[in-house]
Amino acid sequence: MGSDYLYYTLRPMIAMVDCNSFYASCEQIFRPDLWGRPVVVLSNNDGCIIAANKEAKALTHIPMFEAVYKIKHILIKNKVTFFSSNYTMYGEMSQRVMNILGTFSPCVEVYSIDEAFLDVHGFSHIDIQAYGFDIKERIYQYTGLPVGVGIAPTKVLAKLANRMAKKIPIYDHVYVMDTEEKRIEALQWADIGDIWGIGRKHVKRLQAIGVFKAIDFVNLPLAWVRKEMTIVGERLWKELRGESCLEFMTVPNPKKAIGTAKSFGQKLPDLGRIEEACAYYITEVAEVLRAQKSCATYVHVALYTNYHSTIDKQYSNRMTVTMPIPTNDTFALIAHARKALHGIYKSGYRYKKVAVNLTGLIPQEHVQGNLFEQQSKITDAKIMKIVDTLNMKFGKTTVSSAMIGTRIHEWELIKRERSPRYTTQWRELLEIG
Amino acid sequence: MEIEVSGKIRKTEERHSAEVSTQTGFPSAATHYMEAPIDLNEELSIHKDATFYIRVKGDAWKDFMILNKDVLIVDRSLTPHFEDLALVVEEGVFKVIRIPFDKHQDTCTLWGVITYIIHYAR
Repeated sequence: MGSDYLYYTLRPMIAMVDCNSFYASCEQIFRPDLWGRPVVVLSNNDGCIIAANKEAKALTHIPMFEAVYKIKHILIKNKVTFFSSNYTMYGEMSQRVMNILGTFSPCVEVYSIDEAFLDVHGFSHIDIQAYGFDIKERIYQYTGLPVGVGIAPTKVLAKLANRMAKKIPIYDHVYVMDTEEKRIEALQWADIGDIWGIGRKHVKRLQAIGVFKAIDFVNLPLAWVRKEMTIVGERLWKELRGESCLEFMTVPNPKKAIGTAKSFGQKLPDLGRIEEACAYYITEVAEVLRAQKSCATYVHVALYTNYHSTIDKQYSNRMTVTMPIPTNDTFALIAHARKALHGIYKSGYRYKKVAVNLTGLIPQEHVQGNLFEQQSKITDAKIMKIVDTLNMKFGKTTVSSAMIGTRIHEWELIKRERSPRYTTQWRELLEIG
Repeated sequence: MEIEVSGKIRKTEERHSAEVSTQTGFPSAATHYMEAPIDLNEELSIHKDATFYIRVKGDAWKDFMILNKDVLIVDRSLTPHFEDLALVVEEGVFKVIRIPFDKHQDTCTLWGVITYIIHYAR
């Protein structure tokens, strides 16, 4: 291979855009008093830290992965502001970012709440570097959220370019990998663990055979990669060599199962309260089910005592019920989940957690009737649609089954430090003055 | 079963389809003149992805005719011009200012341009 090979231009075809410390950045938009200061966001139930901005990450002496109650005093002492997660607000801000990205490319794959791939195929007539900076600047101007942009010939390389954009200060959060030389440089720069899709287990195995950098990985024989890391590894290997094999997915794959398992705020001995919690969780997951236009065939319910406790008697059990007709009707799902719960509940224990899971998901238009079950499908669907519309507009569980009881705040995540829902609730607007 | 809905969630498409008299079967004279009603959401927030609503507490900016309980519509996508009202941040605090002729004399950071003030009239 001659050295002039290195100067071959590569066609950058995919842009990877992601928001910098997204949750913390969302909080800071509305809190200029916190600009330039350490901010962290806590997980559900305020258990641990799930996001930290760069000022917080710089406080390396704080054990960020410890349980919050253990490190709260350290956070306070270091003037770190902490927020309970406000997914309503993050989700709405994410939607804005994705809408703006939609003005840059006709094809946007929303990869997660704060990351997206853009198809920039055939954009060779424009200055791709300037295009990258335009994305960054427009999103920052419109939403106040800082983003990084990596542009490269394949998804895996775009992800790597994005990492370089962020980690190497001179690139100023935008990096375009448009020559063969830059690709090789990137592979020499990146550690094997930095590559998108190579898990911890594989990193260890690769290091054991002397593969430390991305460049070492692409120099492995394909046969070895295929044998040891299956088709997944093979695709990564090819993508890193500039051969695109990961498809663009603009329509998300519907989930195969939807569930939730949350601990009660307290230990519950009586069935009535657990029924309410169970009905509440079903209400939540059924909403997700309808949003993706699926119906569930099976409802799984599991009940647990606190296995960390040394004083309580221990018991846990699970049960699955089959729906007569696959459905996404909250009321039908609650009724069947309740049957399962009655099947496994035993008195005399103090329960800590109930888990619900819906599986056997099929597209709602594929649901077949059952000879013995005359369900008034049309009116039920209509009711569910109205329920969803009302809840969307006026807030979660404005309308719901009476089975969830009146103490829903106890089943809801503990969110002591949640910020207002500035962008979705008229009563919670940002107040100034 | 027909579900009667009222007030805010009434379906708009039914309200604005051309009316046909149930008595005579003749269409309304307005049939070919139907238009969608005014949607304040469309009129007042032009760049939806860049628009934020912010409520004012107190009378600190009454000189700008911004009063207690007013809601500001702030559009971050606009470039501020001379005399525009703008929301800015100075030393970590939100402030409303009128953009001066020489934009660079101020030390504050622009947050967004105020396009409308919704005044609470009661």
